Amino acid sequence: MKLLMTASQIRGLPVVTVREGEDVAEVRDVIYDPEAGRLVGLSLNQRGFLAGRRREVLPAESIHAIGQDALMVLDESSLVAPADAPDDVAHPATERNVVGDDVLTEGGTSLGKVTDLVLLVGSTGDVVGYQVDKAGGGQGYIPLPAQLAISGVALVVPNITEDFVEDDLVGLGAAVDEFRARLGLS
Amino acid sequence: MSESFRQAIGRKVVSRASANELGSVRQLLVDAQQRRIAAVVIGRGKKAQLVEWEQLSGFGPDAVMVVDEGALRPPADDRERNGVDGNLDLLGKRALSERGNELGKIDDVTFDTDTGALEDLVIGDRRVPAGALLGSGSYAAVLDKSQEV
Repeated sequence: MKLLMTASQIRGLPVVTVREGEDVAEVRDVIYDPEAGRLVGLSLNQRGFLAGRRREVLPAESIHAIGQDALMVLDESSLVAPADAPDDVAHPATERNVVGDDVLTEGGTSLGKVTDLVLLVGSTGDVVGYQVDKAGGGQGYIPLPAQLAISGVALVVPNITEDFVEDDLVGLGAAVDEFRARLGLS
Repeated sequence: MSESFRQAIGRKVVSRASANELGSVRQLLVDAQQRRIAAVVIGRGKKAQLVEWEQLSGFGPDAVMVVDEGALRPPADDRERNGVDGNLDLLGKRALSERGNELGKIDDVTFDTDTGALEDLVIGDRRVPAGALLGSGSYAAVLDKSQEV
């Protein structure tokens, strides 16, 4: 089953070990590479009310699965100290945050401002779209090509993206494959 | 013979050596990786004790027989303490698929009274073979992804 989730839905999920059935942490934030459209890892909070940040991070390679109710890891050793994590997970570049950026087509039409990331979850965690506040008002979802230009204030998407602005995640799920097929990506 | 956890809870525990009644079954602690019962918990709170499965001479329909009273012991490590406190009890435990989706709660578990091997997990109106159990702890029992419906 193809499941799309926004980064906001992933934040706060318990991190549960497959082998021990323990909730060892919870998701603090999603760390991703906007150019590659790839989830690189997660920062973590301790489990429990008001428990605060957990020092360790979870590299994307160590995610067993992301589901609607939990983020699964094999065991607690999947959580690593920043010093042992890939650099892009240990020191995420905050200026690469695209939330708030304007989405412009190559033809110069604004599709809106990015409000959230949409990830294809399961055993991977690809960023496949953005949730946007549409230029004309209201919320929409747009699929992403695998590669795109990002400046820190705006990101440029192919003109055909305009035909694939969807009203909800279900619509986006259907649109992603067709969009990528049209671009010759899959 | 096949039995269920819910049937077994409350059954008296008797010493084979002395015929004394030692208490009653309060909880069955499982080894999720081995998919078998590891120990029987008797009593509650600070008085809780456990008997390892290997120390039983029989898990019968009317009584659980323990070789002798010396087989009863207090919990020895954090996991066992967590267990006698009820935090690891499979009954009522949230079932999660390894994909991170909730499947329901475990209502009952069946097992083989000869070996202690778990047979099925009862989740609502489904029976899931115990072979699907990947791990279990205080938060959830984690099941193989093939159990997603």
